[in-house]
Amino acid sequence: MSFLLPKLTCKREVDQAIKSVAEKVLVLRFGRDSDAVCLQLDDILAKTAHDLSKMAVIYLVDVNNVPVYTQYFDISYIPSTVFFFNGQHMKVDYGSPDHTKFVGSFKTKQDFIDLIEVIYRGAMRGKLIVRSPIDPNNIPKYDLLYQGI
Amino acid sequence: PVSRRPEHRRETARFWRENRAEAALRERCLVPADEYERFAQALEQALAEHQRREEERILQMAADIREAERRQRETVRAALQVEPELCAGPSVFRLPAGPERDSPCGAEEPGPSRMQTGPDLAWMESSKVLTFIGHQETEGKGNVHTGAKPPWLTEEEDGSKQIGPSYEEFLKHKEKQKLKKLPVERVGANFDHTSQTSDSWLPSFGRVWNHGRRWQSRHQFRTESGEKKKK
Repeated sequence: MSFLLPKLTCKREVDQAIKSVAEKVLVLRFGRDSDAVCLQLDDILAKTAHDLSKMAVIYLVDVNNVPVYTQYFDISYIPSTVFFFNGQHMKVDYGSPDHTKFVGSFKTKQDFIDLIEVIYRGAMRGKLIVRSPIDPNNIPKYDLLYQGI
Repeated sequence: PVSRRPEHRRETARFWRENRAEAALRERCLVPADEYERFAQALEQALAEHQRREEERILQMAADIREAERRQRETVRAALQVEPELCAGPSVFRLPAGPERDSPCGAEEPGPSRMQTGPDLAWMESSKVLTFIGHQETEGKGNVHTGAKPPWLTEEEDGSKQIGPSYEEFLKHKEKQKLKKLPVERVGANFDHTSQTSDSWLPSFGRVWNHGRRWQSRHQFRTESGEKKKK
Protein backbone atom coordinates (compact mmCIF):
# COMPACT_ATOMS: atom_id res chain seq x y z
CA MET A 1 0.00 0.00 0.00
CA SER A 2 2.89 2.35 0.55
CA PHE A 3 3.51 2.62 -3.18
CA LEU A 4 0.29 4.58 -3.54
CA LEU A 5 1.37 7.40 -1.27
CA PRO A 6 4.11 9.94 -2.03
CA LYS A 7 7.34 9.59 -0.10
CA LEU A 8 9.88 12.06 1.24
CA THR A 9 13.42 10.77 1.25
CA CYS A 10 15.62 13.43 2.82
CA LYS A 11 15.54 16.21 5.35
CA ARG A 12 15.34 18.89 2.68
CA GLU A 13 12.22 17.33 1.19
CA VAL A 14 10.59 17.14 4.57
CA ASP A 15 11.49 20.77 5.23
CA GLN A 16 10.04 21.70 1.86
CA ALA A 17 6.80 19.86 2.56
CA ILE A 18 6.36 21.46 5.96
CA LYS A 19 7.03 24.95 4.67
CA SER A 20 5.12 24.78 1.41
CA VAL A 21 1.87 22.90 2.16
CA ALA A 22 -0.65 25.66 2.71
CA GLU A 23 -4.17 25.67 4.16
CA LYS A 24 -4.24 21.88 4.52
CA VAL A 25 -3.25 19.48 7.27
CA LEU A 26 0.14 17.91 6.50
CA VAL A 27 0.33 14.27 7.64
CA LEU A 28 3.82 12.76 7.93
CA ARG A 29 3.95 9.04 8.66
CA PHE A 30 7.36 8.15 10.15
CA GLY A 31 8.07 4.44 9.90
CA ARG A 32 9.32 1.72 7.61
CA ASP A 33 7.50 0.42 4.56
CA SER A 34 8.14 -3.19 5.53
CA ASP A 35 6.90 -3.00 9.11
CA ALA A 36 3.65 -4.81 9.83
CA VAL A 37 1.85 -2.07 11.71
CA CYS A 38 3.13 0.51 9.22
CA LEU A 39 1.54 -1.54 6.46
CA GLN A 40 -1.79 -1.43 8.26
CA LEU A 41 -1.54 2.31 8.79
CA ASP A 42 -0.38 2.95 5.22
CA ASP A 43 -3.40 1.01 4.01
CA ILE A 44 -5.75 3.28 5.92
CA LEU A 45 -3.86 6.38 4.78
CA ALA A 46 -3.94 5.31 1.14
CA LYS A 47 -7.63 4.51 1.18
CA THR A 48 -8.66 7.78 2.76
CA ALA A 49 -6.19 10.06 1.00
CA HIS A 50 -8.50 10.81 -1.90
CA ASP A 51 -11.52 11.65 0.22
CA LEU A 52 -9.44 13.86 2.46
CA SER A 53 -7.59 15.54 -0.41
CA LYS A 54 -9.26 18.89 0.22
CA MET A 55 -8.29 18.91 3.89
CA ALA A 56 -5.05 16.97 4.10
CA VAL A 57 -1.84 16.06 2.29
CA ILE A 58 -0.20 12.77 3.28
CA TYR A 59 3.46 11.77 2.93
CA LEU A 60 5.43 8.73 4.06
CA VAL A 61 8.89 9.15 5.59
CA ASP A 62 11.34 6.34 6.32
CA VAL A 63 12.86 6.86 9.76
CA ASN A 64 16.24 5.64 8.54
CA ASN A 65 16.48 8.48 6.01
CA VAL A 66 15.84 11.40 8.35
CA PRO A 67 17.70 10.89 11.63
CA VAL A 68 17.34 14.59 12.43
CA TYR A 69 13.57 14.32 12.46
CA THR A 70 13.57 10.96 14.18
CA GLN A 71 15.56 12.51 16.98
CA TYR A 72 13.67 15.77 17.06
CA PHE A 73 10.28 14.11 17.39
CA ASP A 74 11.68 11.45 19.75
CA ILE A 75 10.31 8.66 17.60
CA SER A 76 10.89 5.43 19.49
CA TYR A 77 7.99 3.38 18.16
CA ILE A 78 6.91 3.09 14.57
CA PRO A 79 4.71 4.07 12.96
CA SER A 80 4.50 7.56 14.40
CA THR A 81 2.36 10.12 12.63
CA VAL A 82 2.98 13.85 13.02
CA PHE A 83 0.54 16.58 11.95
CA PHE A 84 1.27 20.09 10.72
CA PHE A 85 -0.78 23.03 9.54
CA ASN A 86 0.74 25.95 7.65
CA GLY A 87 4.19 25.07 8.89
CA GLN A 88 3.07 24.76 12.51
CA HIS A 89 3.29 21.45 14.39
CA MET A 90 -0.19 20.46 15.61
CA LYS A 91 -0.50 18.62 18.90
CA VAL A 92 -3.39 16.28 19.68
CA ASP A 93 -4.52 14.93 23.03
CA TYR A 94 -5.35 11.27 22.38
CA GLY A 95 -5.55 10.31 26.02
CA SER A 96 -2.02 8.90 25.67
CA PRO A 97 1.06 10.46 27.34
CA ASP A 98 2.53 11.89 24.13
CA HIS A 99 0.60 14.68 22.40
CA THR A 100 3.20 15.46 19.77
CA LYS A 101 2.55 12.43 17.58
CA PHE A 102 0.16 9.54 17.01
CA VAL A 103 1.84 6.19 17.70
CA GLY A 104 0.58 3.05 16.01
CA SER A 105 -2.20 2.49 13.54
CA PHE A 106 -5.85 3.52 13.51
CA LYS A 107 -8.56 0.96 14.08
CA THR A 108 -10.81 2.13 11.28
CA LYS A 109 -10.63 4.56 8.38
CA GLN A 110 -13.37 6.59 10.05
CA ASP A 111 -11.17 7.18 13.10
CA PHE A 112 -8.47 8.71 10.91
CA ILE A 113 -10.99 10.80 8.97
CA ASP A 114 -12.53 12.12 12.18
CA LEU A 115 -9.10 13.00 13.53
CA ILE A 116 -8.13 14.91 10.40
CA GLU A 117 -11.39 16.80 10.51
CA VAL A 118 -10.88 17.80 14.14
CA ILE A 119 -7.32 18.93 13.46
CA TYR A 120 -8.41 20.92 10.40
CA ARG A 121 -11.21 22.67 12.26
CA GLY A 122 -9.02 23.41 15.26
CA ALA A 123 -6.33 24.82 13.02
CA MET A 124 -8.83 27.02 11.19
CA ARG A 125 -9.86 28.44 14.54
CA GLY A 126 -6.27 29.10 15.54
CA LYS A 127 -5.84 26.24 18.01
CA LEU A 128 -2.40 24.63 18.27
CA ILE A 129 -3.62 21.64 20.27
CA VAL A 130 -6.89 19.76 19.81
CA ARG A 131 -8.58 16.84 21.52
CA SER A 132 -8.82 13.61 19.58
CA PRO A 133 -12.33 12.38 18.76
CA ILE A 134 -11.17 8.75 18.72
CA ASP A 135 -12.44 6.43 21.45
CA PRO A 136 -9.51 5.93 23.88
CA ASN A 137 -10.04 2.16 23.65
CA ASN A 138 -9.03 2.33 19.99
CA ILE A 139 -5.77 4.17 20.65
CA PRO A 140 -2.81 1.74 20.67
CA LYS A 141 -1.15 1.45 24.04
CA TYR A 142 2.62 1.65 24.39
CA ASP A 143 5.17 2.22 27.10
CA LEU A 144 6.55 5.72 27.01
CA LEU A 145 10.07 5.72 28.36
CA TYR A 146 11.53 9.18 28.08
CA GLN A 147 15.27 8.83 27.57
CA GLY A 148 15.51 5.67 29.59
CA ILE A 149 13.68 6.94 32.66
CA PRO B 1 -76.39 -10.87 39.56
CA VAL B 2 -80.13 -10.54 39.41
CA SER B 3 -80.07 -6.92 40.55
CA ARG B 4 -77.88 -6.02 37.68
CA ARG B 5 -80.41 -6.92 35.14
CA PRO B 6 -82.94 -4.12 35.59
CA GLU B 7 -80.20 -1.53 35.71
CA HIS B 8 -78.68 -2.99 32.59
CA ARG B 9 -82.06 -2.80 30.88
CA ARG B 10 -82.53 0.80 31.91
CA GLU B 11 -79.11 1.88 30.72
CA THR B 12 -79.54 0.08 27.41
CA ALA B 13 -82.88 1.73 26.90
CA ARG B 14 -81.38 5.13 27.68
CA PHE B 15 -78.53 4.57 25.32
CA TRP B 16 -80.93 3.54 22.60
CA ARG B 17 -83.04 6.60 23.15
CA GLU B 18 -80.09 8.98 23.18
CA ASN B 19 -78.50 7.60 20.09
CA ARG B 20 -81.80 6.87 18.36
CA ALA B 21 -80.75 3.38 17.39
CA GLU B 22 -83.10 0.79 16.01
CA ALA B 23 -85.32 -0.57 18.75
CA ALA B 24 -85.25 -4.02 17.25
CA LEU B 25 -81.54 -4.30 17.86
CA ARG B 26 -81.86 -3.43 21.51
CA GLU B 27 -83.21 -6.75 22.62
CA ARG B 28 -80.42 -8.55 20.95
CA CYS B 29 -77.85 -6.36 22.69
CA LEU B 30 -79.03 -7.09 26.18
CA VAL B 31 -76.50 -9.26 27.94
CA PRO B 32 -78.00 -11.89 30.25
CA ALA B 33 -76.57 -11.98 33.75
CA ASP B 34 -74.95 -15.39 33.56
CA GLU B 35 -73.23 -14.52 30.33
CA TYR B 36 -71.87 -11.47 32.03
CA GLU B 37 -70.59 -13.57 34.93
CA ARG B 38 -68.90 -15.91 32.57
CA PHE B 39 -67.28 -12.98 30.81
CA ALA B 40 -66.01 -11.50 34.08
CA GLN B 41 -64.42 -14.75 35.13
CA ALA B 42 -62.82 -15.35 31.79
CA LEU B 43 -61.42 -11.86 31.89
CA GLU B 44 -59.83 -12.41 35.26
CA GLN B 45 -58.27 -15.62 34.11
CA ALA B 46 -56.93 -14.09 30.92
CA LEU B 47 -55.47 -11.18 32.84
CA ALA B 48 -53.74 -13.45 35.35
CA GLU B 49 -52.36 -15.53 32.51
CA HIS B 50 -51.04 -12.49 30.72
CA GLN B 51 -49.35 -11.14 33.82
CA ARG B 52 -47.71 -14.47 34.42
CA ARG B 53 -46.39 -14.57 30.89
CA GLU B 54 -44.99 -11.03 31.13
CA GLU B 55 -43.18 -11.77 34.36
CA GLU B 56 -41.67 -14.85 32.86
CA ARG B 57 -40.43 -12.86 29.90
CA ILE B 58 -38.86 -10.20 32.10
CA LEU B 59 -37.12 -12.79 34.23
CA GLN B 60 -35.75 -14.42 31.10
CA MET B 61 -34.40 -11.08 29.82
CA ALA B 62 -32.76 -10.41 33.19
CA ALA B 63 -31.12 -13.81 33.10
CA ASP B 64 -29.82 -13.16 29.59
CA ILE B 65 -28.34 -9.81 30.61
CA ARG B 66 -26.68 -11.35 33.63
CA GLU B 67 -25.19 -14.05 31.46
CA ALA B 68 -23.86 -11.52 28.97
CA GLU B 69 -22.30 -9.42 31.72
CA ARG B 70 -20.63 -12.46 33.18
CA ARG B 71 -19.11 -13.32 29.82
CA GLN B 72 -17.94 -9.73 29.38
CA ARG B 73 -16.24 -9.69 32.76
CA GLU B 74 -14.44 -12.91 32.00
CA THR B 75 -13.22 -11.62 28.67
CA VAL B 76 -11.92 -8.41 30.23
CA ARG B 77 -10.19 -10.32 33.00
CA ALA B 78 -8.57 -12.69 30.56
CA ALA B 79 -7.43 -9.86 28.33
CA LEU B 80 -6.00 -7.83 31.21
CA GLN B 81 -3.96 -10.80 32.28
CA VAL B 82 -2.32 -10.93 28.88
CA GLU B 83 -1.86 -7.17 28.44
CA PRO B 84 0.74 -6.52 31.19
CA GLU B 85 2.90 -9.23 29.61
CA LEU B 86 2.71 -7.54 26.23
CA CYS B 87 3.44 -4.08 27.58
CA ALA B 88 6.57 -5.22 29.34
CA GLY B 89 7.78 -6.74 26.07
CA PRO B 90 9.04 -3.73 24.07
CA SER B 91 11.46 -2.47 26.67
CA VAL B 92 13.26 -5.83 26.69
CA PHE B 93 15.09 -7.37 23.69
CA ARG B 94 12.53 -8.54 21.17
CA LEU B 95 14.05 -11.80 19.95
CA PRO B 96 14.01 -13.93 23.10
CA ALA B 97 10.70 -12.52 24.21
CA GLY B 98 9.08 -13.16 20.82
CA PRO B 99 8.18 -16.83 21.03
CA GLU B 100 6.88 -16.64 24.57
CA ARG B 101 4.63 -13.74 23.70
CA ASP B 102 3.11 -15.51 20.76
CA SER B 103 1.55 -18.27 22.82
CA PRO B 104 -0.56 -16.09 25.12
CA CYS B 105 -1.47 -14.03 22.10
CA GLY B 106 -2.59 -17.09 20.20
CA ALA B 107 -4.51 -18.51 23.14
CA GLU B 108 -6.37 -15.29 23.73
CA GLU B 109 -7.47 -14.74 20.17
CA PRO B 110 -10.32 -17.26 19.95
CA GLY B 111 -11.83 -15.83 23.12
CA PRO B 112 -12.14 -12.13 22.39
CA SER B 113 -12.93 -12.51 18.72
CA ARG B 114 -15.84 -14.79 19.49
CA MET B 115 -17.55 -12.27 21.72
CA GLN B 116 -19.51 -9.51 20.12
CA THR B 117 -20.66 -8.07 23.40
CA GLY B 118 -17.19 -7.92 24.99
CA PRO B 119 -14.65 -5.19 24.23
CA ASP B 120 -12.91 -5.71 20.90
CA LEU B 121 -9.35 -6.18 22.15
CA ALA B 122 -8.64 -8.74 19.44
CA TRP B 123 -7.78 -5.83 17.13
CA MET B 124 -4.97 -4.63 19.33
CA GLU B 125 -3.77 -8.07 20.38
CA SER B 126 -3.49 -9.62 16.96
CA SER B 127 -2.09 -6.51 15.28
CA LYS B 128 1.29 -7.07 16.90
CA VAL B 129 3.26 -4.98 19.29
CA LEU B 130 4.67 -1.75 17.91
CA THR B 131 8.18 -1.90 16.55
CA PHE B 132 10.63 -0.25 18.89
CA ILE B 133 13.45 1.58 17.14
CA GLY B 134 15.50 2.63 20.12
CA HIS B 135 15.63 5.62 22.40
CA GLN B 136 16.41 8.75 20.50
CA GLU B 137 19.55 10.16 22.08
CA THR B 138 19.96 13.74 20.98
CA GLU B 139 23.26 14.42 22.78
CA GLY B 140 22.08 17.57 24.38
CA LYS B 141 20.57 19.09 21.24
CA GLY B 142 17.00 18.96 22.50
CA ASN B 143 13.83 17.70 20.85
CA VAL B 144 10.17 18.57 20.49
CA HIS B 145 9.46 17.90 24.15
CA THR B 146 12.16 20.30 25.33
CA GLY B 147 11.09 23.00 22.90
CA ALA B 148 14.22 22.94 20.74
CA LYS B 149 14.35 24.64 17.33
CA PRO B 150 12.52 22.49 14.76
CA PRO B 151 14.61 21.07 11.89
CA TRP B 152 12.54 22.79 9.22
CA LEU B 153 13.45 26.17 10.60
CA THR B 154 17.18 25.46 10.80
CA GLU B 155 18.47 26.43 7.36
CA GLU B 156 22.20 25.99 7.16
CA GLU B 157 22.74 23.36 4.50
CA ASP B 158 21.00 25.05 1.58
CA GLY B 159 23.95 26.30 -0.46
CA SER B 160 21.90 26.94 -3.59
CA LYS B 161 19.89 29.70 -1.94
CA GLN B 162 21.41 33.02 -2.91
CA ILE B 163 20.69 36.33 -1.29
CA GLY B 164 18.90 38.68 -3.70
CA PRO B 165 16.52 38.26 -6.65
CA SER B 166 16.79 35.51 -9.23
CA TYR B 167 17.26 35.94 -12.99
CA GLU B 168 13.50 35.90 -13.79
CA GLU B 169 12.87 38.57 -11.23
CA PHE B 170 15.61 40.68 -12.81
CA LEU B 171 13.94 40.46 -16.22
CA LYS B 172 10.60 41.48 -14.75
CA HIS B 173 12.30 44.43 -13.12
CA LYS B 174 13.70 45.56 -16.47
CA GLU B 175 10.20 45.48 -18.02
CA LYS B 176 8.83 47.60 -15.22
CA GLN B 177 11.57 50.13 -15.80
CA LYS B 178 10.45 50.47 -19.42
CA LEU B 179 6.91 51.17 -18.31
CA LYS B 180 8.08 54.06 -16.17
CA LYS B 181 9.16 55.94 -19.31
CA LEU B 182 5.59 56.15 -20.63
CA PRO B 183 3.41 59.23 -19.86
CA VAL B 184 1.91 59.01 -16.40
CA GLU B 185 -1.54 60.38 -17.39
CA ARG B 186 -2.24 57.79 -20.08
CA VAL B 187 -5.37 55.75 -19.92
CA GLY B 188 -4.97 52.63 -17.84
CA ALA B 189 -1.73 53.73 -16.18
CA ASN B 190 -3.12 52.74 -12.79
CA PHE B 191 -4.57 49.46 -14.02
CA ASP B 192 -4.34 46.84 -11.30
CA HIS B 193 -3.04 43.71 -13.06
CA THR B 194 -3.28 41.60 -9.95
CA SER B 195 -7.02 42.02 -9.40
CA GLN B 196 -9.04 38.82 -9.73
CA THR B 197 -11.81 38.62 -12.28
CA SER B 198 -14.59 36.08 -12.23
CA ASP B 199 -16.31 34.49 -15.20
CA SER B 200 -19.16 36.94 -15.13
CA TRP B 201 -17.07 40.10 -15.39
CA LEU B 202 -18.66 41.21 -18.69
CA PRO B 203 -21.73 43.36 -18.02
CA SER B 204 -23.47 42.62 -21.35
CA PHE B 205 -25.68 39.59 -21.56
CA GLY B 206 -25.90 39.45 -25.30
CA ARG B 207 -29.66 40.08 -25.63
CA VAL B 208 -29.73 42.78 -28.31
CA TRP B 209 -33.29 42.67 -29.62
CA ASN B 210 -35.08 42.33 -26.31
CA HIS B 211 -37.81 44.53 -25.07
CA GLY B 212 -38.35 44.58 -21.38
CA ARG B 213 -36.12 45.27 -18.46
CA ARG B 214 -32.43 44.70 -18.15
CA TRP B 215 -32.71 42.33 -15.26
CA GLN B 216 -34.83 40.00 -17.36
CA SER B 217 -32.08 39.51 -19.85
CA ARG B 218 -29.61 39.17 -17.01
CA HIS B 219 -31.82 36.55 -15.40
CA GLN B 220 -32.07 34.72 -18.70
CA PHE B 221 -28.33 34.81 -19.18
CA ARG B 222 -27.66 33.54 -15.71
CA THR B 223 -30.10 30.67 -16.02
CA GLU B 224 -28.55 29.62 -19.26
CA SER B 225 -25.03 29.81 -17.94
CA GLY B 226 -26.06 27.64 -15.06
CA GLU B 227 -25.08 29.93 -12.25
CA LYS B 228 -27.90 31.74 -10.60
CA LYS B 229 -26.72 33.64 -7.60
CA LYS B 230 -29.86 35.72 -7.15
CA LYS B 231 -33.33 34.27 -7.51
